[in-house]
Parts: sequence; C-alpha cells; structure tokens
Amino acid sequence: MTRFALTLLVALTCAGTAHAQCFADYKAKKDAPLRLHYGVAQIGGACSAGAAARELTPRLAAQGWTLLQVQSVFGPEGLDQRKNSAGQYYLRF
Amino acid sequence: MPDNTTSASDIRRTGGRLVVMGVGGILALLIAAALLLFLTLPDSGAFDARVERMFVENADLTSQAEIKLLEILAQSGTAFADTLASYRLVIFVLLVFATGMMIAALVFLILLVGFNRRMAQIERAGIQVNSLLISREENTVYLNNLGFKLTDAAMETMSILAEARMDDDVLSGSEIEGMISGRDASNCEEAAGATRIKRLRDTLGNQIVSELLVKNIARRGYMLAVEKDVIKVL
Repeated sequence: MTRFALTLLVALTCAGTAHAQCFADYKAKKDAPLRLHYGVAQIGGACSAGAAARELTPRLAAQGWTLLQVQSVFGPEGLDQRKNSAGQYYLRF
Repeated sequence: MPDNTTSASDIRRTGGRLVVMGVGGILALLIAAALLLFLTLPDSGAFDARVERMFVENADLTSQAEIKLLEILAQSGTAFADTLASYRLVIFVLLVFATGMMIAALVFLILLVGFNRRMAQIERAGIQVNSLLISREENTVYLNNLGFKLTDAAMETMSILAEARMDDDVLSGSEIEGMISGRDASNCEEAAGATRIKRLRDTLGNQIVSELLVKNIARRGYMLAVEKDVIKVL
C-alpha cells in the first residue's frame, strides 16, 4: 500500500512536471516606424529559451512582428509580476 | 621646329588638353565628394537599429512607459534622418554648383591665357588688318578705322585689288592695267601695272608709317610713336 502510494505520488509528480504550464517573456519589434513590445506568451513545447524562441517566431511573424529576444522561461508563479509590464501583450500570442 | 618655340596651334592644343584634364579633375573631385557624402551619412535605419539594440541589451526595459519612450526616441531619430537626407540633397546641389563654377573659372582662365599669348603675338606681329573700308566718295581707305587718303589712280588700284581678293583672284600687272584702262589684258604691259602697285604702296605705306611710327606733330616736329622702354640700340 505504501509502495503503491509512493508510485502514484512519483507518477503524479512526473506527470505534473511534464504538463506544467510554461511561459516565456520576450521582446519583439515591427519596422517602419519602429514599434517595440514586451510580452508574455504560453509555450506548448519544451520549457527552454531556445524552444520558446523557435515556437514564438512564427506566431509573432503571423502578425508582422519580429522576435528580438526571449528573456526567460518560467512557470505560472512568474506571471503576476510580469502582467503589468506586458500590458496588452500579456498572453496575447 | 626647335623645341623652345611655340606656335599658336601648339597653344590651342595644350589649352584644349588642359581644359580636358582640368574638367576631368573637377568631375573626379565631385564624384569623390558625392560618394563620400552619400556613403558616410547614416541612413534612416541607423537610429532604429540603435534603439532596438538598447531595447534588447537592457533586460529591465520592460514597462510599457519605457517602451513607449523608446519608440518616440526612434521616431525622432527617423525624423532627424529625414532632415539629414534633405541636407544631403542641398549639399549635393551646392556641390554641383561649385563644380560648375570651377569649370567655368578654369575655362575662363585658359581663355585668358590664350588671349594674352595672342595679344603678345599681335603686338609683335605689328599691324594686323581686321577691317578694310574703301570709301570711293572720300577717296579714302580705312584700315582698322585709320583713314588714309589716296589719289584717284591709287584708289582705282585699291578697289580692283579688293574686288579680286573677294573673289580669291590673283591679278598680274597687265591684268590690273587692263582693268583700269579698259583695254584687253593682252595689249597691256606688265610694267604699267607694276607702276600702279608701286604708287599705291608708296602713298599708303608712307601714310601708314607716319600714322603708326613716325608722327608729325604740327608746328613742333617729328617723333617716333613707340614707347620709350621698347627701344634698344645694339
């Protein structure tokens, strides 16, 4: 019983890690005239800056934006402190 | 021809070469200046790129107000770049004007040198006739607006020579005599025409020399009509 509970816990933890929500904050631009924005977006794939950049580039390009830099990746706990800065670009892309 | 002498055609040729070289040099200068002008001035993207780099390099530039300020900075930079572009155009136009002035100055300089040499040559060559006016009523020939009174016979000879010159004809002595006397040239003597020419030369030459060289000042006497400092006695 104890063993089963432990296994379940481990399994849940693993599943939780695998499906934990991943977010990235990034900087993007549009040319002529130059427009800049700082935004937060949810990442579906691997939770790393490189993967986030690969995923975000086409998403932003669809709206005419060019990704400049992915600042960092973080979990849901980092959302609140960035919500204000991102403004209208909070989870928009 | 020895090397240390020049002729009028030489001068014209060197002058032409100088003009071509000078104009070429000026054009090369203009092109170099224009290239420098258009290559060294930053294009409008330079300001945007600078602002973009600032935005990327400073990780804490994330608040909306700061980003708005950066955008305004980039816009003012773009406006400044537009101003620079118009300045560049103005500078280029001024450059073209300056080049035109330089070319004109060069051409005038060359012309001036040419005229100076030509003047010196004319001064050395003595009298050069650029107008010959024959007035039959006054029996006077005007050479370069200097009037010379001729006898009737000399006037006839002068008119015939002038007409022949206008037709590019050369007249022999007998032809001259024939035209004046109205007889056929074959019946006239060569010597008669030569005498007429001699008389014309005498009266005209005498008057020309007295006008240009040996002047007669009324009731005082005679004087050479040349500058003091050009006279040398060997």
